[in-house]
Amino acid sequence: MVLIFPLLIPLLGAFAVLLCKSPRLAVRVALGVGALEMIALGNAVVRVYTTGALQVGEYLRADSLTAFFLINIGLIFALVLVYSVGYLRHIPEGRFSSPRWFYGLVFLFLFTMIAVYLSANLGLLWISVEATTLASAFLVGFYNTKGAVEAGWKYLIVCTVGIAFALFGTITFYLAAVRCGIPQDTALNWTVLMNAAPRLAAAPQLLKLAFVFIVVGYGTKIGFVPMHSWLPDAHAEAPSPISALLSAVLLNCAMYAVLRFDAITARALGTGFSHHLLLIFGGLSITVAAFLMIVQRDLKRLLAYSSIEHMGIVALGVGIGGPLGLFGALLHAFNHSLAKTMLFFTTGDVRENYGTLRMDRIRGMARTLPWTSGAMIAGGLAIVGMPPFGLFVSEFIILTAAFTKGSYLIAALILVALSVAFGAMLFHFQHMLGGESHTTRVRPKAFLTDLAPTAVCVACLLVLGTRIPTVLTNLLHGAMAVLQ
Amino acid sequence: MGFVDIAAAKTLASSAVFIFITLLLLASAKRTRTCIVLFSMQGAVVTAQILATAYVHRSAEAYAVAFLVLVIKVLAIPYLLLRIVDRLNMPREVKASTTSAQSVFITAALILLSFLVIQPYVRAFNIDEDMLAAAIALVLTGCFLMVSRKKALMQVIGLLVMENGVFLAALTSTFGMPLVIEIGIFFDLLMGVFLMGLFVFRIRDTFDHLDVSKLRRLRG
Repeated sequence: MVLIFPLLIPLLGAFAVLLCKSPRLAVRVALGVGALEMIALGNAVVRVYTTGALQVGEYLRADSLTAFFLINIGLIFALVLVYSVGYLRHIPEGRFSSPRWFYGLVFLFLFTMIAVYLSANLGLLWISVEATTLASAFLVGFYNTKGAVEAGWKYLIVCTVGIAFALFGTITFYLAAVRCGIPQDTALNWTVLMNAAPRLAAAPQLLKLAFVFIVVGYGTKIGFVPMHSWLPDAHAEAPSPISALLSAVLLNCAMYAVLRFDAITARALGTGFSHHLLLIFGGLSITVAAFLMIVQRDLKRLLAYSSIEHMGIVALGVGIGGPLGLFGALLHAFNHSLAKTMLFFTTGDVRENYGTLRMDRIRGMARTLPWTSGAMIAGGLAIVGMPPFGLFVSEFIILTAAFTKGSYLIAALILVALSVAFGAMLFHFQHMLGGESHTTRVRPKAFLTDLAPTAVCVACLLVLGTRIPTVLTNLLHGAMAVLQ
Repeated sequence: MGFVDIAAAKTLASSAVFIFITLLLLASAKRTRTCIVLFSMQGAVVTAQILATAYVHRSAEAYAVAFLVLVIKVLAIPYLLLRIVDRLNMPREVKASTTSAQSVFITAALILLSFLVIQPYVRAFNIDEDMLAAAIALVLTGCFLMVSRKKALMQVIGLLVMENGVFLAALTSTFGMPLVIEIGIFFDLLMGVFLMGLFVFRIRDTFDHLDVSKLRRLRG
């Protein structure tokens, strides 16, 4: 039951919220369901932390890696839920753009993402990842403007094609497992495959073919260059809380899927093949994204490209490998999600006050929006990897791993990309913050529901930047044991 | 050898050819409706093939999969798509960026290409050559339809053709995945088509056309 509740609550919650006709009631029900879900997730994490991996039936399983990502999704989702209360007040009322549709779809989205983390079966994993696309497509197109509809359509089509490739990869993986003598019923079971990995070495071509398709397929959802075309559009056109969910949780979800396959492939064939592939995609992503950040005009597109860059860093961390590289990569995924959530939250305020997210039209933010500007400065410093924030630590760990492994080229690549991204962020942010504003303030003061989530993000990033909590370190070590 | 045995053997032997025919017809089709009907027929060929496989291998699970394919790919999805075409009330040409003749030539080339690329795997794993080639050809032609057709609905059909290919590849190489997983995949597929249908209506309502090649607001 420990693993059933986190799945059941958002699913039932989605329908419960959809039944609420009045917007006020819908918001309250949503917060209630969210609180219940946090308890259920917390309970699951505590159980995994104290007693080790949990298996429910044939298809659900939670180990340390799952628990680590469950903390991530729970934390970000709670923040998004609170932030949405203030944000939704300003959404124009439409047929599908009422709070109940928003929360209903958000809970369905949450359900599918938690299903990704809890599935013990690679087929079920695929079904869940595809379901995340379906559940979030309407959230991306929520505003129903021309841009939003185009972004939603592009997201739906590009990701479905990508995921079709992942299905092909999953099938090839299954074929390899069956050919190597693993019974058909369990040949998609992750733990079985992990234990039987040495036997899988008998079909190296199939495994390699499968992994290429997996990386291209799930990589589309992660936003690896060159399959990233949907990502900036979707992030820019979605409502800010949804952009935060996409960037901070969905990308990690897809990365998690790749991690599972990577672990099996690496154990079967050695780390040479799969890790090199991740290095190629990661390197391409950070380089292209960092340079594209310079020329962006829209604030949310800038943040979206920054997400591509950071997912590239995570991929590089995994690709460098070793305990240090993997530790840094997982930690970086966590840190990035906190910093990016915070930045996307500030864009909501900016849009509301300036009526646009075009960065050349935003001036003098520091005077008109002091609180939001403060949050943006903190988030900006965090995202470019300044101490004392968490991203500095995780990037430093990944770089250390690169140097100890002797991959100087990769270390140099990361450093160059980070510097370019740093310059781009600084350039855009100082332009927006400084100068005289031409718009008058629309809203007298920031709401508590806007500021509280940001404060939580800053606090978490500071903690992660100074001393990583023991719970997290233990879970990370458990996760690394699972993956190696 | 009874009648059913002969029918099953003939189906297994010829279904790849029928799939190639549907692909070439899809490439030459000028109307969205024709494409939907052709997709349905393609599903029927796949159903026949699974039934034959199920009969030859005496597999109850395969019969269940055949039933699912029949209900979802031959009946439900084409019906849904035809309803959408009717309700959209828009011009029904596919608006290809290549002429019919060019499309047929490209598709034929893609079929040849798929025979070429599978050679190493056929020899190494003892898989039916024609069927695997058909699967790869479906994926490639699906991609081609998606990039060369401008109408939103044709992209959905291209995607479905691609998915048919992935499904067929699974079927020929492993006799399909476990049933529970297959059901989940079919459910996702159905929901996906449903959602894409809703999105097509949104595109029509916000843009007043269905030409995806004109959706170019978002760039860079």
